[in-house]
Amino acid sequence: MNRNGRRLSALIALAVAGVVLALLPRVAGSYALVWISLLCVYLTLAASYDIVGGYMGYMNLGHSTFFGLGAYGTAILLNHGQPLAVAAAGGMVFTAGFAALVSYPLFRLRGAYFALATFGMISLMKVLSNNLRDLTGGSGGISTPPGDHTIGAYYLSVLIAFATLIVSYRVSRSRFGLALFSIREDEEVARAFGTPTNLYKSLALVISSIPASLIGGTYVWSVTYISPPAVFGLEIALSPIVMAMLGGTGTLLGPLLGAVFLTSCQELLWTKLPYLHLTIYGMIMVLVGLFLPGGLVRTAWFRPELDRLGLGEKISYPDLS
Amino acid sequence: MSVDIIQLLVGGILLGGIYGLAAFGLSISFGVLNILNLAHGEFLMLGSLVSYSAFVLLGINPFVSAVLVIPLFVVFGVGFYLLLLKPVSDKPPHQLLVASILVTLGISLAIEDLTAFFWERPVTGIAYSLPAIELGHVVISSLRLSILLFICVLAVLLQAYLKRTFVGRAIRAITQSREGAKIVGVPIAHISGFTFGLGVALAASAGVFYVTLFTVTPVIGIPLTVKYLCVVVLGGLGSLVGSVVGGLILGLSEVLTAYYFGAEWSPCIAFVLLISILIIRPSGLFGIEG
Repeated sequence: MNRNGRRLSALIALAVAGVVLALLPRVAGSYALVWISLLCVYLTLAASYDIVGGYMGYMNLGHSTFFGLGAYGTAILLNHGQPLAVAAAGGMVFTAGFAALVSYPLFRLRGAYFALATFGMISLMKVLSNNLRDLTGGSGGISTPPGDHTIGAYYLSVLIAFATLIVSYRVSRSRFGLALFSIREDEEVARAFGTPTNLYKSLALVISSIPASLIGGTYVWSVTYISPPAVFGLEIALSPIVMAMLGGTGTLLGPLLGAVFLTSCQELLWTKLPYLHLTIYGMIMVLVGLFLPGGLVRTAWFRPELDRLGLGEKISYPDLS
Repeated sequence: MSVDIIQLLVGGILLGGIYGLAAFGLSISFGVLNILNLAHGEFLMLGSLVSYSAFVLLGINPFVSAVLVIPLFVVFGVGFYLLLLKPVSDKPPHQLLVASILVTLGISLAIEDLTAFFWERPVTGIAYSLPAIELGHVVISSLRLSILLFICVLAVLLQAYLKRTFVGRAIRAITQSREGAKIVGVPIAHISGFTFGLGVALAASAGVFYVTLFTVTPVIGIPLTVKYLCVVVLGGLGSLVGSVVGGLILGLSEVLTAYYFGAEWSPCIAFVLLISILIIRPSGLFGIEG
């Protein structure tokens, strides 16, 4: 199949998926809609994590900070009587500004130091959201105006997840994305060849923070209540990263595959097993780290298929000038 | 007022000594293995639980168990290294980072969750005390003083071990230059396993003191690892003196923050310190490579 034929079939597949997802609320019950919304939350977080964690190779373990900040920002603005669009935009601007601010000190670290420092950022946010009671409601959490937003949240989540995948694809096929790959492979060489590494690293962090904050805003609008452990807890922090790792970082389909696989597992297992969720996540992380550091997409079953679809790592750059 | 300050300083120095001891364990194992062990805080927690159980069930004095846990956790750490870290350390460098973070963080989550599941009473503290010493108006518990003395003795022994013995010199050599050490014939794999065991044992030993002074819950591990990172960045890699100084700075600032701003703010200070060092002196107070 030639290049245009592949592109056409990919577009047809996307259109079919779009129509099915758009018509789903007419036939499916609210259980399925809530499940797909949750899947889209995880997918958005995993795919936006991958821009920094996969493309650039900086393990940002604190990615859920952006989710939580977006959720808190949106909730506070909603409680001040703002409409959802204004509230979510406000949360997004706040989160992106925060990401731009912390990127300066954090990117002075590398490797494991960076991973641990970003991980520490989550606990800082948890302490702040517990202590600033006037603003965040403290450990009691914060409620937003009630209402049944299941269908609205479903469409918004699907839209944001889809937009995140598009952004991720566009980034990976751009000059900017190429710079991020080169930072991952060798930062000194990239800088020596004239890549503005500091600027691009901050920019990548800001870009990855935007989808996370938007999906956080959608999430709080639909569940109408959040508390510090719900948005700054370990499970929401680590499950998107585990999904991206399990699927395969640095590829478009890795986070998608990991998110679908792990969210389905959660749905089947978690209801039967009320404890030890973190143990299972931990064991998956250990097994992936020991035996599957490239993720599922780099195994022998998936790799040829992805390369055939033009979504693998063999990227042909059509026009970068 | 000044009495309060002195009490605070003593408390801060003590906390700092415990941090320094445990952070030095993290620092040498990172220096030798090139793997940042994110499960390090969990070993402090496990050391605390072991000594608590030994105290409650067998009536073993915490000072005795602080010595006893060292060989126990050296063996445990070597086993951990052989089973989980040795296979990872053979990977090429770009996979090493991701794989090591996944493995150590995964183990840390599993330990935390399993401990919380099996430990019925999560909050524990040893009811062990010695008569207090009164100097003028300053009351210093002699338990705290003896712990401080014990940590000092341990640090001196450790420093002597690193400077005088073959293994200690090998550890420092690998930290300074891995390739150079390999060329002159240092058995890197053996030393790596033992160093990791030693690091784990230091954390566990610090955990014994931790439980005599503070309450221990299964979830303290990961926040503690972040604090050790702060100490390592403050004090520099592989230097015992640096770790102790970094630990003292962190311990004192935590205690002073809790006194002046309220106890709920003291968990923030490690992160604030870390960020401020990175902005002011990116190479760390004692000059390490970021």
